[in-house]
Amino acid sequence: MAREIGWERNVDPVGIWEHRGKVALVGRGHSTTDRRWDGVSMDKTLGAYAMVAAQAAMEDAGISPDEVDGVITSAGGQPGHRSFGEQWAPRPYFDPPYDTEDGLTFVTAEWLSRQLGLRNVKYLNSHGETFWNLMGLAFQAVGDGRCEVCLVPYPNGNLEGRYHQAEGLSAPGAAQWSSPWGWGLSGQGFVFDQYCRKYGSNHDRMAPFVVQERKNGLLWPHSYYALHEPEPFTEEDYVNGRWIAKGLSIFDCDRPVQAAACYVVTTAERARDMRQKPVYVLDHTEGMFQPRSLVQTLEESEEWSDILAKRAYAGSGLRPGDIDLFSPYDGFAINAQYFLEAFGWRGVKRGEAHDFYAGDISLHGPNPLNSGGGNMGTGRMRTAFVTDPMEQLQGRAGDRQVKVDANVAVTIGVLPGNACTLVFSTSPD
Amino acid sequence: MPRPIPIPDDLSRPFWDGCNERRLLVQYCTYCDRKQFPPEPDCRECGWHFHLTWIQTTGRGVIIGSSVTYDSRIVAWHDQQPYLNAVISLEEDPVIHFHSNLPGVPVHDVPVGAAVIVDFIEVTPGQLIPEWKLA
Amino acid sequence: MKILLSFDIDGTLELGDPPGGVTVEMVRRAHEQGFIIGSCSDRPLSSQRAMWERIDMVPAFVASKHQLGDVKMKVSADAYYHMGDRDTDFQAAEENDFGFWWAHEAVAEPWLALQEDE
Repeated sequence: MAREIGWERNVDPVGIWEHRGKVALVGRGHSTTDRRWDGVSMDKTLGAYAMVAAQAAMEDAGISPDEVDGVITSAGGQPGHRSFGEQWAPRPYFDPPYDTEDGLTFVTAEWLSRQLGLRNVKYLNSHGETFWNLMGLAFQAVGDGRCEVCLVPYPNGNLEGRYHQAEGLSAPGAAQWSSPWGWGLSGQGFVFDQYCRKYGSNHDRMAPFVVQERKNGLLWPHSYYALHEPEPFTEEDYVNGRWIAKGLSIFDCDRPVQAAACYVVTTAERARDMRQKPVYVLDHTEGMFQPRSLVQTLEESEEWSDILAKRAYAGSGLRPGDIDLFSPYDGFAINAQYFLEAFGWRGVKRGEAHDFYAGDISLHGPNPLNSGGGNMGTGRMRTAFVTDPMEQLQGRAGDRQVKVDANVAVTIGVLPGNACTLVFSTSPD
Repeated sequence: MPRPIPIPDDLSRPFWDGCNERRLLVQYCTYCDRKQFPPEPDCRECGWHFHLTWIQTTGRGVIIGSSVTYDSRIVAWHDQQPYLNAVISLEEDPVIHFHSNLPGVPVHDVPVGAAVIVDFIEVTPGQLIPEWKLA
Repeated sequence: MKILLSFDIDGTLELGDPPGGVTVEMVRRAHEQGFIIGSCSDRPLSSQRAMWERIDMVPAFVASKHQLGDVKMKVSADAYYHMGDRDTDFQAAEENDFGFWWAHEAVAEPWLALQEDE
């Protein structure tokens, strides 16, 4: 089916979302989480995991496959609608009888719908991009009436080997402006360095945030770390991490994993009859920006995240004090501060994020930041950013359940230059 | 040391040719009175390509920040690790940036805020690229 | 002669993720034969310590990969060797004057020959 375009709410003034409170999240399901796919085990492909997640999500919502009339997916989990095999690690094309990557490192709505035997689907879309944008697209599609009971799987995978490695001495295209000087993840370190110079901080002051995220993530059963590396991660561990580029340590980088999640998104009206307490969607807003010149600067990171925050407040009608739970994307961990400060959550102003991290950001305190653990606590699944707020608002987050009254949750990702903000509430009003 | 060599394309060729003449050029929109780098098909301000030309800069700049790369994704650079990555802001238009490895400057002692001037180094016979040195 | 062996974990030891070819038995044998053993890996220090606990061994050191030089300062030995599966392992060894074996070479326990040479 054709790609939807122009659905994003990215032109100011956005105004209150026309479907505010009329769309709801009612179910979630997860596969297990592996470090990588071995390329041969057919029960561990992204397709297999998306099926497991979809079945769990339908069961969670208490619906039968026949009730589903839409499937919206981000087929490769990445921007650009490509499989991660194509985009990251080079993957030799699969041998016959398999004639496609669909269902292996790539999961289209068409494939999933066929595999699950969904008989009443009238809307299929495989063009969701990164996780937040995928959810925004699904919320808009359901609000617009393209479908009423929609499965929204998010597969994100990993293969053997290192990815993003540029070989050779030829620098064509965009690389001509960066590779001759060896520029790459130094861009992350550079902006963090600018931040620390401007506000008088240092990298070690990130430690309490990353350590708290791992603690939260270890309490989530689907987390990569809960499943495979359950020992605590300490401040000593963090400050002993090696630099990838100064300002960005190995423990600021999220660990790529192989996992899928799936959500059931429906109208507020249909949600009332389903098994779980509905989590209402108050808003989604998007934004994409381009650096003025060769590199993204701190000034731009702040300017863009300010625009995104203002847009989200205008679109949802909320003020900073209305947000009970805030979950800014953290892969890389050193980016979360730009969102936190832009949204002014708990009064945090520019330059104050690291002071805030030094305070009580625990699940049981007044400021439970990234209560789901983010990517640092769960691996690069990204889905903790929706599953956790959902479970917190439904009061079924188990050991992670925060002590503050959780009625409104906001999450934003991925990076300041390309992000979507999602706003959830226990009430449709 | 061998480093990745820029491959000029139609859009970038004037810049790289300029480097070979030891001139640091940036795109310039005569209508918007606005510099643009790296080059783009159209001026980002007015959206037109009609008024885009190239002008020579002073070649003077300021170091606005840096990082040090320890684990590069660019394999050709692995032998040089850890190496310095500085960002240079053009003196006459600070929103225009350039990369530099600041040859000779200790990687952990970068004088952020210091003035620099452009220099050119050969990456392969027939191709110079801009580098920067303390003024 | 005291010889220090620094093991990378992921991609090198059988306990790593991905698993490498160097078995716990090889590590234990080296330990029993008097080699000074420890790990130097991209894993958090806590995670490295947990791994040694799981196999009921006490390492002489655990370190992050960029701290291989510190190992030399803290643990005295006559010769130092690191083994691993990544360029970063090779570089760390080279920078700090450690002998080096790639993970696939290490499965042959080349350190045993060093003692025989004595």
